[in-house]
Amino acid sequence: MADNTTKIRTFIFDNFLFDAEEDALENDTSFLEQGIIDSTGVLELVDWLEEEFAISVADEELVPENLDSVNLLSAYITRKTS
Amino acid sequence: MSDRFLCQQCILPSTFPGISFNEKGVCNHCQRYKGEDATVALQEKYEQKFLKLLEERKTKSSYDVIVAYSGGKDSTYTLDVFVNRYQLRVLALTFDNTFISPKALVNIGKVCGSLGVDSLIIKPAPQVLRKIFRTAATQELYSAKTLERASTICTSCIGMVKGIVLRTALEKHIPFVGFGWSPGQAPVQSSVMRTNPALMQGTQKAILKPLLEIAGDAVLPYFVTEEQFTQKELFPWNIHPLAFLHYDEQDITERISQFGWERPNDTDPNSSNCTLNAFANQVHRKRYDFHPYVWEIANMVRTGVLSREEGIEKIEPPEDIKMVAYSQKELGVD
Ligand SMILES: [Zn+2]
Repeated sequence: MADNTTKIRTFIFDNFLFDAEEDALENDTSFLEQGIIDSTGVLELVDWLEEEFAISVADEELVPENLDSVNLLSAYITRKTS
Repeated sequence: MSDRFLCQQCILPSTFPGISFNEKGVCNHCQRYKGEDATVALQEKYEQKFLKLLEERKTKSSYDVIVAYSGGKDSTYTLDVFVNRYQLRVLALTFDNTFISPKALVNIGKVCGSLGVDSLIIKPAPQVLRKIFRTAATQELYSAKTLERASTICTSCIGMVKGIVLRTALEKHIPFVGFGWSPGQAPVQSSVMRTNPALMQGTQKAILKPLLEIAGDAVLPYFVTEEQFTQKELFPWNIHPLAFLHYDEQDITERISQFGWERPNDTDPNSSNCTLNAFANQVHRKRYDFHPYVWEIANMVRTGVLSREEGIEKIEPPEDIKMVAYSQKELGVD
């Protein structure tokens, strides 16, 4: 779990926040409402999830409850891989 | 002077957010690219998905699809595709940002007439829009990621277009929303996608918040209401047909000339409808040292839609001074 959180944070900083400071992102910050990720960004995120964790993300799983913060993503990955 | 350099393969510059290069000077995006064959197979898959949906969702009582129609080359071709390739009843919605080129407005009239498409033009009061554009010209309103793909002025405008198109689709119970995104602007994976109300609500908040601060409630009619977000069953599918069809600029220009479309001579090389674009580009280039169109053009170079030289020609020359000056004067900014 802690490991996933680090992976997710690294991915978000590398691909969405770039050279922002570490504290620019709390683990429960909404990606969507903060404009960190938009609808195209969601696809980038899904690509990464499928490759990094060898999971398949169904269309109906593309909802904020699964994807909209570091913590929600981490919980989603745990559910999909356990 | 910056010591900016371009990817040897796709033209993304070293100033682009999050970019890295290998020892051959090839960027991380090119290193990840899976090749043309993968793209073609996916394109077929997505067109089939759309055709299947059409069978299930075509309606009698309303339009089949509402298209965000800017009057530019790509959205004109998108109208043609919906009418002639898929035989759909189309409503073309044009959001006139008050900087639409007069020639583009003529094109809109001619093309809709020739294709037999209903045209709805929404032209907001200039005061509201200009306040927004003026602010966007002087300060940043959005996240770093958004700015990879478009200037702040463009992002504000497109945010309103997406909002009013979705709102109209919901009001009129139209099952599909069509956009003319080029293959460089939107990946094929996004070309046939159900609009997810909750995702959309989150995205809308990010765009709407700064606009509300600048212009107040006057911008609300261009966005989906809280009540509409609860009508989940009415949410349409987003279709970007140019992402799953063969795309060639010259073929497209020739094809749409049959419907009376002519390239405007009063816009910059990256827009075929908007006279504000050159200024929006200039602000972005000064602010970030990369061209706001470079992401989509680099994608087209990488996938073979454009040559590297054609790509460079679109992003390296400075913006047209006269066009920049026109927008500055209209907006009252330096
Ligand atoms: Zn590259």
